[in-house]
Amino acid sequence: MNKRVLLVEDEPNIVESLRFLLERAGFDISVETEGPAALESVLQSPPDVLVLDVMLPELDGFEVLRQLRANPNTRALPVLMLTAKGQKENRETAFEAGADAFITKPFSNTDIVDAVSNLATRGPSQT
Amino acid sequence: MGISQSELARSVGISPSYMNLIEWNKRQIGGALLHRIADRLEIDRDDLDTSSENRLLNSLNEIASLPASANLGVEQDQTGEFIGRFPGWANAVASLARSGQEANLRAQSLSDRLSNDPFLGETVHRMLTRVSAIRSAADILKAYDDITDEERNRFYAIIDEESHRLSSVGEALAAYLDKSDTPSRTLTPVDEVESLFEANGNRFAQIEDAAEKAHKLLREAPVSNRNAYARALAQDRFGDIISDIIDTHAQLETISARERAHRALLEYAVGAVQMPEAEFGGHARALRYDIEAICDSFSADFHTVCLRLTALRPEADVPRFGYYRANAAGGLIRMLGLDTLTFPRYTPACPLWVLYRAQQSPETVIRQLAHFPTGSRFVFVARARNTGAVGFGVPRQYVTDMIAMTEADARLTVYAPDATTRPEQVGPSCRLCPRDNCVHRVEDPLSD
Repeated sequence: MNKRVLLVEDEPNIVESLRFLLERAGFDISVETEGPAALESVLQSPPDVLVLDVMLPELDGFEVLRQLRANPNTRALPVLMLTAKGQKENRETAFEAGADAFITKPFSNTDIVDAVSNLATRGPSQT
Repeated sequence: MGISQSELARSVGISPSYMNLIEWNKRQIGGALLHRIADRLEIDRDDLDTSSENRLLNSLNEIASLPASANLGVEQDQTGEFIGRFPGWANAVASLARSGQEANLRAQSLSDRLSNDPFLGETVHRMLTRVSAIRSAADILKAYDDITDEERNRFYAIIDEESHRLSSVGEALAAYLDKSDTPSRTLTPVDEVESLFEANGNRFAQIEDAAEKAHKLLREAPVSNRNAYARALAQDRFGDIISDIIDTHAQLETISARERAHRALLEYAVGAVQMPEAEFGGHARALRYDIEAICDSFSADFHTVCLRLTALRPEADVPRFGYYRANAAGGLIRMLGLDTLTFPRYTPACPLWVLYRAQQSPETVIRQLAHFPTGSRFVFVARARNTGAVGFGVPRQYVTDMIAMTEADARLTVYAPDATTRPEQVGPSCRLCPRDNCVHRVEDPLSD
């Protein structure tokens, strides 16, 4: 059975490319475009890997991640954060909030597929 | 002149060696002594007035204390002689330092803008998002040769759509950067306004003339309303005069400085209307320059009286006053400097000045006998006032008004220190201050 990736991203053209790339790499993809809906989706059926954009309407990616890490059921979910702001502070905030990996836009297709594959193979964090 | 240096010294009541120091610009003089020397030499006092040299001396001493000058072996004990012998070069050094300071401030504000400007932040984010979509779609087209026609067309459409959106973002950014291009400046607005007042000797004859007439109207107003009435008269009648003064002063380069100058001249006009020159000088002298007593006598505000004191015509036995106004952050927002008093322009000032302490006890007049490391002493008189709204729970916004005078000039006023007045050790700024045991020090002093 294919591993499942939940893609949380509000830019439809980026979703289109990521969906194509990750499906080609053998993942099943579902998509959410807003923070609260993403939280609900994770709680209902946790994916194997979460790809989470930082800039989201209503609830930003950092806050979604903090809430997931605060919940025992989703604490160990592997999360790759995605943002257009490549500054150092953003990377630090992402790791403090509990991200397992961090990729900045514009990203290389290979990097993103490799990062998701690594997280899927590794499975839930042991912390 | 037909008079020797030592004869001149004796006739004005100072020692020949002190006169020698004055002649070599190693001692600064003002007030009564300057007047006596001018009288004895039968020349105009302005020919001897060293105000601009003193300002230059202060600037050069401060430049010598900056970290960039620290290891250059600047001959600080010969600054006065340098100015005397090479005034052009001395002015060039001060002007270059000022331009350098301006360039630094500008670079700093541009850097702050780049990191904090919400429009730029948002635009860069949008740009990177567009680039990201284009790059990913283009890479897919290049790397996967087995995609369907439908997929291929979809990714071409993405590239087309996103590249159009990218050019709109680029255009918006270019328009924003064009708009934010500001003219270059060589002074801060506070400095520009000070230069306007300095160029006019802190006195504007056009305003003084018109104020005499306006004052007659003010006399008809009830005493309790005179303050507001004077303000209304000034706004009503002095607009054109003020605009003329601003238009003819080339150094007011920026809009901000012109607006600031307008407010400053309006304040000047209010003071002139309330306290016309003909009455003010004699009255102030009779009251021994007691600011609060003068306020009472003319129904005027404390700061208006302070400003009026700086406009007194220079005469023997009339003290010379400087005026400084600081906000709660310690920022200098108005200055009519006393040329003999170093006020740092390139480094933070000394926090021990009563100018900064007065906000701890608002609405109270505080005198300070300030003893500087060079041995010179000044009397500072400061009072903090609320400029914001009033009411329970409403935050107060205090600014401090301070006048400064030499200790010698203070003897002509009610603020004269007596035997019980404790001098307070203050400095110009940490870099210029040699007191190594000061607990308030934030920067190392310039090493000798």
